[in-house]
Amino acid sequence: MRLPARRLVCYGLGVGNSFALMFGLPGQGMHLRLDALSVLFLCILVPQIVASALAERRGSIAFWVFAGAMVLTLLAGDAFTLIFGFELMSAASWLLVLRGDARPATLYAGMAMFSAACLIPAVFLPAGSLAFMLVLLGAGAKAGLAPLHSWLPRAHPAPPAGVSALMSGGMVKVSLYILIRYAFIEFGAAAQPWWGSVLIAAGAASVLIGALRAMLEVELKTMLACSTVEHAGLIAVGLGIALRAKAMGNLDLASLALQGALLCAVAHGLFKPMLFLGAGAVKKATGTTSLDWLGGLMRGMPRLGMLMLAGAAGMAALPLGPGFAPEFLLLHAVIKAAATGGILARIGFTALLAGLGLSAALALGAVVRLIGIGFLGRPRSLHAAAAGDANRATLAGMGLLAALCVPVALLPGVVLGMMEPVIQLLAPNSAPAPLSYAPLSLFLLLAAAAAAAFFGLRRFAVRGTREVPAWTCGFGSPPAWLPFGDPLTQPSATGFAEPVRRAIARGVLAPQGVDPAEAYLLFPLSQVSLRLTRVAEYIRRSTMRQRLAFVFAALVMFLLALGLSEGG
Amino acid sequence: MVTFLLRLVATLLHIGLVFALAPLLMGLVTKLRARLLGRRGPPVVQPYRNLRRLLHKTTLVPDTATDLYSIWPFVCFTATAGAAMLVPGFSLGLLTANVGDFITLIGLFALARGATMLAGLESGFGFGGAAAAREALFSVFAEAALLVILISFVLIAHSPTVDGVAAAFRSGHLGISVSLGFALAAMLAVALTETGRIPTDNPSGHLELAMVHEAMLLEYSGRFLLLFEYAAMLRLMVWMCLIGTVFFPFGMARAGEILTWPGGLVLWAGKLGVMAGALSLFEIGTAKMRVFRVPEFLGVAMLLGVLAGVFLFVAARIGG
Repeated sequence: MRLPARRLVCYGLGVGNSFALMFGLPGQGMHLRLDALSVLFLCILVPQIVASALAERRGSIAFWVFAGAMVLTLLAGDAFTLIFGFELMSAASWLLVLRGDARPATLYAGMAMFSAACLIPAVFLPAGSLAFMLVLLGAGAKAGLAPLHSWLPRAHPAPPAGVSALMSGGMVKVSLYILIRYAFIEFGAAAQPWWGSVLIAAGAASVLIGALRAMLEVELKTMLACSTVEHAGLIAVGLGIALRAKAMGNLDLASLALQGALLCAVAHGLFKPMLFLGAGAVKKATGTTSLDWLGGLMRGMPRLGMLMLAGAAGMAALPLGPGFAPEFLLLHAVIKAAATGGILARIGFTALLAGLGLSAALALGAVVRLIGIGFLGRPRSLHAAAAGDANRATLAGMGLLAALCVPVALLPGVVLGMMEPVIQLLAPNSAPAPLSYAPLSLFLLLAAAAAAAFFGLRRFAVRGTREVPAWTCGFGSPPAWLPFGDPLTQPSATGFAEPVRRAIARGVLAPQGVDPAEAYLLFPLSQVSLRLTRVAEYIRRSTMRQRLAFVFAALVMFLLALGLSEGG
Repeated sequence: MVTFLLRLVATLLHIGLVFALAPLLMGLVTKLRARLLGRRGPPVVQPYRNLRRLLHKTTLVPDTATDLYSIWPFVCFTATAGAAMLVPGFSLGLLTANVGDFITLIGLFALARGATMLAGLESGFGFGGAAAAREALFSVFAEAALLVILISFVLIAHSPTVDGVAAAFRSGHLGISVSLGFALAAMLAVALTETGRIPTDNPSGHLELAMVHEAMLLEYSGRFLLLFEYAAMLRLMVWMCLIGTVFFPFGMARAGEILTWPGGLVLWAGKLGVMAGALSLFEIGTAKMRVFRVPEFLGVAMLLGVLAGVFLFVAARIGG
């Protein structure tokens, strides 16, 4: 018991202002502690909890246990408290998933147990490659990093929207927090460049698969969950570059990549919960989240639609949105990284950049699909046509997150300045270059152009508009019993994704568009488990004679082995 | 102070020229193409007349459109206009030089493209949706190829802005590099796709099923269509400026020295003319390709971009 005890205590000694609680492990207690990193992640977490609670989940005990457990994990000052909070978070979220939909709950529980089985030994092991890999497997599985991501698009959409929002925006961040804390601080001295390479590879695979599936999925919440996989991957790519650069002594690159990764975490923690809350409101108003049954929601739900548009601009990393500055920093970090290291690493970074470009455009396509099919155009069902705007609480929750997006979008330099202590904690003595993306000047330029266009048209063009039946290249107007036209004549979400499915998904995904992790990892595993179950069942059902034969054969084998080893 | 004022004047001059000449460039390409095909073609100033005509037309709004119908033209125009202000034309060292990072530029193109795709989906009819889906597919490869090319630029020039890259390439001691040749080929393919020119899309096409860019605007009319059309002209201008500035930066003026301006202006006009000629020659020489051939076309561009990077790495290995 001596070794774990020492590790438990020394975790908290880094800063020296830990705070002991009176309960916990006998003789140890539980320690809470606040440093720059946990403050940053608390700042990411708290607005989401407030917004989710505002929007819908005030009365649920499991929700508050879930939220409290996440806060406890971030505040943990020793490894026991950290694991305790993390597992409490898993258990509470499992309960919430189970209440929403029982089917993915088993998979979710299995993944949570796997990540616990990796994390618990890892935090008590001495710093080294084995411990890092275990932390990466444990925290990465929970954060949805490929190839252990396939549970995420199933489990995250299952519970009500407020919980989905917190799972996607918060739980993933808490897992990444553990990864950052161990990779950069606890095991920082033993770090090796290949740790970063592994993290980059896992992140790149998640980015590509997440973005591609976000483009293909028809269910709104599943699509958002796939996009979460993408963003977790982006953060992991940034962290991986930073880890590699730090181990190789290139602190400037490390700080640039860290800036990108942490800003991405901040931005994603704002716009993704917003989108999930909006998806919940859509579900409440129309009874479905399938894009193929929505359409024209902007008419019935204008305020929700505008908030969704703001969140979607962040998700697609469009300029002047909250998602652009992190993407900018990450792409620059990849380009800088391509100038370092061996030739294979450089080619790898070039390929990584191509992959990030593909995913960025796919994310834009996914967002256009989400807004264009779901909120614009004609309704595809009566429920969509009759949808009323979301209730005030949901709008307030989303509005809070949208308001917080504004400084991230327009003043990322200030946000990065506030993050400076975290960067210094993770990459000591680095001097990050100032951000070369200037959203304010860009905003002024664009505002000038827009104003010129607006006033020019007001002055010189014919004013006013006239509402007419749509032209549609001369096709007839729809019959009277279909006021919005036949839904089958409209572009559908499935159809919109078809070109991408034909051109890209066939090469990247497994046959029938199944996630490769599911087809090549989960399915074989379930086959093995099935076969083992059959063997166990066969043994259990064996007759007395067969059992005696087993015992006898075992005895003979044992004696044979003994005799051979003694004789030889 | 004087330098700052000169730079300000040069910036304003650049912006004014780009905005004023964009329709002329489009008209020039159309005219040259018609002449090369043996037709007389519309006059060079026809695009100005088209814009003026649209100015005087009533704007019709389909009854199935939502309130955002009038937003997308402005977003598309604004993003393209922003890109036009950031890419230097006749002179380096403009006031917008520091904002004009390549990745910001890619983001602005993406913003314009997203607004156009949403405009296609706006009224909920099949043609616009199909065209938007195709545009989404093309953009996936175009954006990846453009980013990969960027890596060679930044590694050679040590600067991520268009201005910095052009300044580094102009200083001349680079010589002719294989990497830049590959990068140029890849960039041309991306430019043809982004501006909707012939191998991927036909700007003068009339069959809705085969159109990409135009099909998204089928339901637009009047002043909103004007914004989209003007944005398309600006986009052609921006891409020609971008290619001219990055790959042929010789003779560009310096914004702080007024005496270099006339030469820069003349050379800029010459470069634009040559590129317009090359574009129309290319367009009469090729046919539009099937939609699912375009990913292959752009995939080759992406591969060329990667090769450009690989050659650079190998050269650095051998040289260093």
